[in-house]
Amino acid sequence: MQGTRRNRWTGLAYVAPALVFVLVFTVYPLGRMIWMSLHEWSLIAEPHFIGLDNFRRAFGDQQFWTSFRFTLMYTVLITPVLIVGGYLLALLTAPPSRVRAVTRTVIFVPVVIGLGVSSLLWYWLFSTDFGVINRILLDLGVIDQPVLWLGVDAGTSNFAISTSVVWKVIGFGMILFVGAIQAIPTEITESSLVDGAGYRQRVTRVVLPLTMRTVLLVTLLSVIGSLLAFDQFYIMTAGQPQNETATSVFFVYLNSFPYLRLGYGAALSLILAVTILAFTIVQLVLTRRSES
Amino acid sequence: MRTRQRLSLLTVAAMIGVTGCSQGTESTESTAEQNVAATTSCAANGELTMWERSGGNKDMVDMLVAAWNTKNPDCKIALTYIPHTEMVGKIAQGIASGQVPDLMGMDLIYAPQFEKAGQLVDLTDRIRAWPELATASSGHMTVATYDQRLYGVPLYADVSALFYNKDLFKKAGLDPAKPPASLSELRSYADRITALGGDVKGYYLPGNCAGCNIFTVGPLMWASGAKIEAAGPGDEPLVGDGVKQVLQFERDMVKAGNVHDGDRTENGETFHLQFGSGKVGMMGTGNFNITLARQQNPGMDFGIALLPGVAPNSSASFIGGDLVVVPKGSKRVNDAVNFMKFLLSDDVQVEVYAKALNLTTRSDMVDNKYFQAEPLVQDVAKALTVGRTPYTLTFFEQINSPQGPWLKMLQRAYYSDDDLDTVIADAKKEMKEIAAKS
Repeated sequence: MQGTRRNRWTGLAYVAPALVFVLVFTVYPLGRMIWMSLHEWSLIAEPHFIGLDNFRRAFGDQQFWTSFRFTLMYTVLITPVLIVGGYLLALLTAPPSRVRAVTRTVIFVPVVIGLGVSSLLWYWLFSTDFGVINRILLDLGVIDQPVLWLGVDAGTSNFAISTSVVWKVIGFGMILFVGAIQAIPTEITESSLVDGAGYRQRVTRVVLPLTMRTVLLVTLLSVIGSLLAFDQFYIMTAGQPQNETATSVFFVYLNSFPYLRLGYGAALSLILAVTILAFTIVQLVLTRRSES
Repeated sequence: MRTRQRLSLLTVAAMIGVTGCSQGTESTESTAEQNVAATTSCAANGELTMWERSGGNKDMVDMLVAAWNTKNPDCKIALTYIPHTEMVGKIAQGIASGQVPDLMGMDLIYAPQFEKAGQLVDLTDRIRAWPELATASSGHMTVATYDQRLYGVPLYADVSALFYNKDLFKKAGLDPAKPPASLSELRSYADRITALGGDVKGYYLPGNCAGCNIFTVGPLMWASGAKIEAAGPGDEPLVGDGVKQVLQFERDMVKAGNVHDGDRTENGETFHLQFGSGKVGMMGTGNFNITLARQQNPGMDFGIALLPGVAPNSSASFIGGDLVVVPKGSKRVNDAVNFMKFLLSDDVQVEVYAKALNLTTRSDMVDNKYFQAEPLVQDVAKALTVGRTPYTLTFFEQINSPQGPWLKMLQRAYYSDDDLDTVIADAKKEMKEIAAKS
């Protein structure tokens, strides 16, 4: 009995550092955010309690829902590109070879660059007057005058931003898929070969089912990343044209800091957090079902 | 146990006593401090800290601080630049942790919000008798005042004006000594310059930059008798025929091809480099562009006029720049006030501001030897006399934000065929809603 109690304390002592970490960096900020969301707080003045008014206002805020719809649309468009693209790249570069290893590295390099830096890089590449992309297209005769890529038309703006994001992120999914593909026991692949399966059949009947867990993981990460998209839109279009490329997080930032409505920003953040939690739960359920 | 309780009680009593004493001392000291006459030198030894936003007039602020430090080696200012977009958050952090600087440079447009929030030291009793304030930039002093109390003085001034390329004027057969004095003249001059062809356009319009437009298009509306922002709840924004007239004028300029297509994407990043490119006939910009354009294009001959309105010889300007203020919690209020006195002194106005060809922040200092030798600065300084600074607690949200109604209205006016009355009505509604929250 005494030994069990001692074991319990020893166990607690082992997990204590991690527990403190979680309490300080997750539980406390979350609690603080909930507290903030119940207050009107301009950041430079004293907060005062207003109950659920911020939430009531958020649900009636047309601009917030516009940004939310745009974020969902962006997520729906970008996620399949990242998953399918990453998977195809993984299939091409997974088999061991020096050339393929170099290709993998080249595709993975943008992942280690900060999103802010890469967005700034693409902002200049797509610049109307100084951008290399317009210069190349003009020289090749594809266009006869510079394209106004960013901030003028929502379609071209989204295309430009999506291009930058795919370049930046696709290597991450690829690496995870490569790991999953390489983890498939060679016996399974060899037996499918003996059974006379072609490349397409091997991919669809053997490789894909055995890597489905990773596919769901990458999907989950991509969905969360896209729902939290901020840097690329902040830097490349600042929500233009006329708020058509303003994401939910951008809207939260705008309210919290430049507009000095920290309490309202916290309420919007909570709504977003709950939405992302819901997505995560759905995906986890799907993952469990696929496993069973 | 009893002894322990007694000790505890004694400790608490002692703490209350100390707190009481310190509060008493503080209040006595602050009264005494307020009675000290301001000078342009140290009130006490030891370094002062100052925060200033980056992206403002850095060279000017560096020069002012260097001049103070040279004169006052015993109480030098340690200047820290903070990214403009992080300034509010940084100040809030400072207030929360009790670590505020002794002085702050602040974009003047945001000052009323801080004054209302009670985050700045009320300097009324210390500075209101200064004779220098009578001629200090009126735009700055307007926003340095809240509820009839004074919270700061000008740090530097940026004014908007119409820059025009004399070389292109000559090529287009226009008289370089006669800049446009009305919007209709501006239009006809732009047509002639654009007709030169090539990559040259008669006019410049920053299509994706809210701040650039209030700085340069806002004055066209003011000069045409219009009012733009809603000052507070219930106030009517976008009042007067000038709003529609200017929007129609800009729409016509765009449709006539007097503006480069690429200007539509201008978000402020390259705004300051456009006039110096030599490809623009006329452009609303700021006094800071005199030096920049010369560095960028030394051979270019250009002139400066006031931004005109619909009626001939009407004009206006936007007075921007920074204020210097003292945040609540500053431990060196006396020296902060002395620095303000130093900034407004005749010697600094002439030997630091004017010598570097920056605008003086006192109108009676414009007539100085440096400006006399530089007609362009004299020309741009005239903008101070017709300039104004908007006063509202929601300036960013109404005007400066890329998401705000001001830019949305301008973009619809410039680049769509939407009915202008509808465009204005939509913006008006949104601005009123924003102002109602202040």
